[in-house]
Amino acid sequence: MTVPATLDIRPSSLSPDAAALLGRFVLIALIAGALTAVDPGFASVSNLLNMLRQASLLFLVASGLTLVIIGGGLDLSVGANLTLSACLAAAAIKTTGNPWYGVAVAIGAGTLIGYANGLMINRLQLPPFLATFGMLWVAQGIAYWFMAGQTIYGMPMSFRYFGTGFFLGVPLPIWITLVVCLACSILLHRTTFGREAYFMGANQTAALLSGVPVERRRLLLYVLSGLTAGIASLVYLARLNAAEPGIGEPLLLPAIAAVLVGGTSLFGGNGNIVGTVLGAILLTIIVNGLNLLNVAATWHPFVNGAVVLVAIIADLVISRRRSGSE
Amino acid sequence: MRTTRSIRCVLAAVICGTLFNSAARADGEVIAAFTKNQVDPHFEGVRAGVAQMAEKMRATVKYYTPTKPNNITEGMSQLEDVGVTKPNLMLFMPIDAKAQLPTIKRLIESGLPIINYNDRGGDAPYLSFVGQDDYKLGYDIAKTLFDHLGGKGNVVMLEGVKGSTTGDERKRGFDAAAKDYPNIKILASQPANFQRLLGMQTMENLIQQFSTIDGVIAAADASALGAIEALNAAGRKNVAVVSINGVPEAVEAVKTGNLLAIAEFDGFKIGCVATAVGLNAIRGQSAPKQVTIPGAIITKANYAPWLVPYKDRTCPSPDAYITK
Repeated sequence: MTVPATLDIRPSSLSPDAAALLGRFVLIALIAGALTAVDPGFASVSNLLNMLRQASLLFLVASGLTLVIIGGGLDLSVGANLTLSACLAAAAIKTTGNPWYGVAVAIGAGTLIGYANGLMINRLQLPPFLATFGMLWVAQGIAYWFMAGQTIYGMPMSFRYFGTGFFLGVPLPIWITLVVCLACSILLHRTTFGREAYFMGANQTAALLSGVPVERRRLLLYVLSGLTAGIASLVYLARLNAAEPGIGEPLLLPAIAAVLVGGTSLFGGNGNIVGTVLGAILLTIIVNGLNLLNVAATWHPFVNGAVVLVAIIADLVISRRRSGSE
Repeated sequence: MRTTRSIRCVLAAVICGTLFNSAARADGEVIAAFTKNQVDPHFEGVRAGVAQMAEKMRATVKYYTPTKPNNITEGMSQLEDVGVTKPNLMLFMPIDAKAQLPTIKRLIESGLPIINYNDRGGDAPYLSFVGQDDYKLGYDIAKTLFDHLGGKGNVVMLEGVKGSTTGDERKRGFDAAAKDYPNIKILASQPANFQRLLGMQTMENLIQQFSTIDGVIAAADASALGAIEALNAAGRKNVAVVSINGVPEAVEAVKTGNLLAIAEFDGFKIGCVATAVGLNAIRGQSAPKQVTIPGAIITKANYAPWLVPYKDRTCPSPDAYITK
């Protein structure tokens, strides 16, 4: 995966942090090296593909979130969005027998939730945290009501290809991740919209005074976040062959962690999508390693938390040293 | 004249007796029924059982379930709400027994009769405990798998939530059964937290590590169903998987042969019996200190009754489970 090049037309303070990306590569390499030393099976092609496939779901949820956070916002509803989109898509597929209805419903529902978030923040002037926190409960509540404690399962094989199929020997979720990653990268680093998103995140008032249509850009960022949650819901549904009303909730905090571990600042204006990919891979490697080493269940949360903290603290230290030397 | 007066007296006595008797039976009580989440079909079964028995015994139910699955903070708030609304009976299952115990004790001291059901809620003067023996469920289902494997083979365990009574007791049962089968090798025991996604991903990771896995024991249906997806995707078709619960989707998997067996942890029956025991107790009957509902082993030979939707099932008589 290549690090997107920095454009000269963007102020240097908004350029991607290559050193931080390199730091993440090194951290992943160190952990991977240690795990390979303990268990050579870790570095096998099948295990690497297995980990990338697992990381892909986390990345898809985190990708739209990265865009929103770079633009100075926050989307706490991505997990609930995934839940509701998956439940509605599963119902559509089971009712009609046509997987494409499910695809349309998931993409439509996800995008609509994102649009509603953007609209609330723009029109009602709600802080992103509150608006998306409210949407989290609304979407989750609708999912509970819609599913009534039941599970919808047994998707057609033609649909399951999204989650379980292979293309050129690589699992399809990884290809979907690559496409989304590439699209987000192009959007952030090769378009006016991307530059304006960084600008808004860094200083919204300045962006507004410079003529950036902040409200329209913000609305689009939330729509994109909803869209990626909808795509993630399809991959989830296709992989697991079932939709239940609690599926997305455990994904919210890991998705936020993937964004932060990937080097995107929670305050906006800084970060990149490749960092989020690395963040998702790092979090997945930890779980994979703990399973391979048969580490007792008691230690899983501790190790997960410790690695996330180390990554974030290391990032802060590097940033301070760099800003001190400039 | 005297005869007429006598008849009137008898009639009055009969009417008074009838009124007094119905007052003692006291229909129309309000039950506060707690469940842990709206996600797991098991708890849907519990609520269906409570609803059916309450309707049968002419009581009304108010359900308390956290909006966020198994959220202790919400669970605590709901307990405090019950302290204010004062129902006639409470059916309680803990989210975190240690954290909720002081509040439970206060509610009991304030005069609220509480039945502890589904999961053990710690050492408090409950009217009764109605549930199943998680240790035995774990032991029985592990034994079923080991016998199926002919007493030897490579097995992995997918545990529940570490620290939860349900998860820990089931795991204790798995381990005890494994000790009885010296030729069974436990390759790994990893957490799947009763979740489908974690069950699948953990299984995917274990598949990478172990080339030969003969059996999988999961602490809950959801984890087992996730594991089956991982096994099927990896082309490991001959792995025997067992689990605990008996939700319709898992029973369907038993029917199709994807799942070898399930130890029945029947929320519907627990809900029915807990409601009956509780209402009988507040209507003047004595309550047994404990009602343990035995869990059947659901296999391809007997799965049919568990495919019936909860709303179409009939509550069993609590007497069937009460040891006189």
